[in-house]
Amino acid sequence: MLTHFSAVLLFSLFTSVVFGITQRAEPKMMIRFGAFCFAIFVGSTIVVSWLMFAIKH
Amino acid sequence: MATEAQQIAQRVPGEKSSFPALVLLVGWLIPGAGHLLVGKYIRAALLFASILGMYLVGLGLQGKIYTTSTGDILDILGFAGQIGLGLLYVLARVLGWGATTITITLGDYGTKFLVVGGLLNLISAVDAHSLANGRKKSL
Repeated sequence: MLTHFSAVLLFSLFTSVVFGITQRAEPKMMIRFGAFCFAIFVGSTIVVSWLMFAIKH
Repeated sequence: MATEAQQIAQRVPGEKSSFPALVLLVGWLIPGAGHLLVGKYIRAALLFASILGMYLVGLGLQGKIYTTSTGDILDILGFAGQIGLGLLYVLARVLGWGATTITITLGDYGTKFLVVGGLLNLISAVDAHSLANGRKKSL
């Protein structure tokens, strides 16, 4: 069974691959944009999670 | 030098052909197949793996497969997203995969995986269409 975090990682990975391929024309830029999307997805999830933790406590 | 309006009015190379429409249709029905038709094999494989991954994780988490029969506007919106999965959606309906209602907490995540997977497949089909008609540079 997936944990919440591993679900986030999978969602971010699959979505970033599609965004990278479809939103850029050159292969090098595809990789860069895909990596950027992945970092933003995972990073923002971690930040928002800690914010929710801080609000609750 | 052509103005921006003139550039937009120019006919896109290959637009008269039915090939771009075929690429769009096939790309929607089978994830990544549109890119396969335009000769982008690695991209096709990556798109297929990603969208199939979203679909399988969604089903594994007991995500809900939406239908329009309930008449609920949220169900219709969910259906609009999931129909983007093309034949994968048909397969889930025919074989009874996925849940009819969300019974576990992770089922809600699974439903989102399925809806977003459908939307991503639509984006990739449109991208393949743009490659086929020359709107997007083919590098």
